[in-house]
Amino acid sequence: MADHFAAFSFVDRITEHEPGRRARGRYVVPADIAAFPPCLVAEAVGQLAAWVSMAHIGFRGRPVAALANETRFRSDVLPGNTLELAVEIESCDEHAVAYAGRASVDGAEAIELVDCLGPMLPVEEFDSPAALAARFELILGDGAPPGRFHGVDAPRVTRTTGSSGASASASLIVPESAPFFGDHFPRRPVFPATLLLDAQIRFALEVAVDAMQWPADTRPVPSRMTHVKMRSFIPPGATLVIDAELAPRATEATLKLSARMDDKPVATARLEVVARKRESARAYQ
Amino acid sequence: MTQAKISGEEIAAVLPTVSATIADALGCDVEEVKPDASLIDDLDAESIDFLDMVFRLERAFKVKIPRGKIVENARGTLTEAEFEQNGIVTDVGLAQLKEYLSEVPAERFKTPTKVKDIPRLFTTTTFAKLVIAAQREAG
Repeated sequence: MADHFAAFSFVDRITEHEPGRRARGRYVVPADIAAFPPCLVAEAVGQLAAWVSMAHIGFRGRPVAALANETRFRSDVLPGNTLELAVEIESCDEHAVAYAGRASVDGAEAIELVDCLGPMLPVEEFDSPAALAARFELILGDGAPPGRFHGVDAPRVTRTTGSSGASASASLIVPESAPFFGDHFPRRPVFPATLLLDAQIRFALEVAVDAMQWPADTRPVPSRMTHVKMRSFIPPGATLVIDAELAPRATEATLKLSARMDDKPVATARLEVVARKRESARAYQ
Repeated sequence: MTQAKISGEEIAAVLPTVSATIADALGCDVEEVKPDASLIDDLDAESIDFLDMVFRLERAFKVKIPRGKIVENARGTLTEAEFEQNGIVTDVGLAQLKEYLSEVPAERFKTPTKVKDIPRLFTTTTFAKLVIAAQREAG
């Protein structure tokens, strides 16, 4: 259980907590990792919302990633940064939690999540309720020791169609084993939705680079992601087909993203990308 | 949802926004979202889409729609045992269901009707009525 609350846990301490309503928290991004992509920043916000909602219903249910109506990407987060997290719980009961949240670094907003909804599923399927409750007490009190995250390897993505066109497909192979499966989740390993979205964004940016002319010294970066919908769990070892369909507009573009497993859709989203100066577009270089 | 008291005018007033919201949630053209379209059989909606549609309708109309209670509400004043036996809707339950879902064409009600198949009956108009009921609840 060395990976539990370590390999994919992004709230070190809850600094303010109004039960069932709102919370603030902190996460120190380890300085010795290669990168901390925006999707993991979003994961940190979602995890703070999950702690507040699970505590609110006595750790009987845990929310799972399902709907994120809008994610606004503001600025990159770098190894060594301290994330200040904040969530507002709009509603929370045994069925679902609806929330909004944000993460910032030194007062500068890094990401904002608007209109997110996670259905509640029985905790016992995924984790030990007692262990979760104990962890919540720890991060609500003195806080957990930082630095226990050692990065994640991107899943293998191989383009299969559309070498330079406005739409393309790729295969994505989820690893059979990885440290994050020990944390997400101990009783039922599931490929994190945010890692899938990260891979989809990287693939979409490749498609955007290949299919469009971008202004000199710029490259496309994500500015906004909408209509994120996760339809089913993705187990270790799964092979997915991911698609990106681009609609270009001058110096920006919108991409429809989807992921399929066994020919069934497992995730859909829309991504808006804009041109940014290369030297400031660090997260997706 | 006391649909007997919901007028056609009330439904017509919310239907355009309901249809557009459902189209946005399902990623389809609004023209496909006809008032009597079965959300599952005609528009390929899955359970996560129902959650999405309710979430979006709450925002569009600034109302609160109780999640996970649509089928429960369909039972009306009947007890669970009166409404269904071993997952099959009873005769009295089916009569109640037909009254609750009066907008659904009669031929879509199967005999026997399984409780798990009740969401297959839901149409665009069903969700319009949910919105109206929520608006009334909010006063």
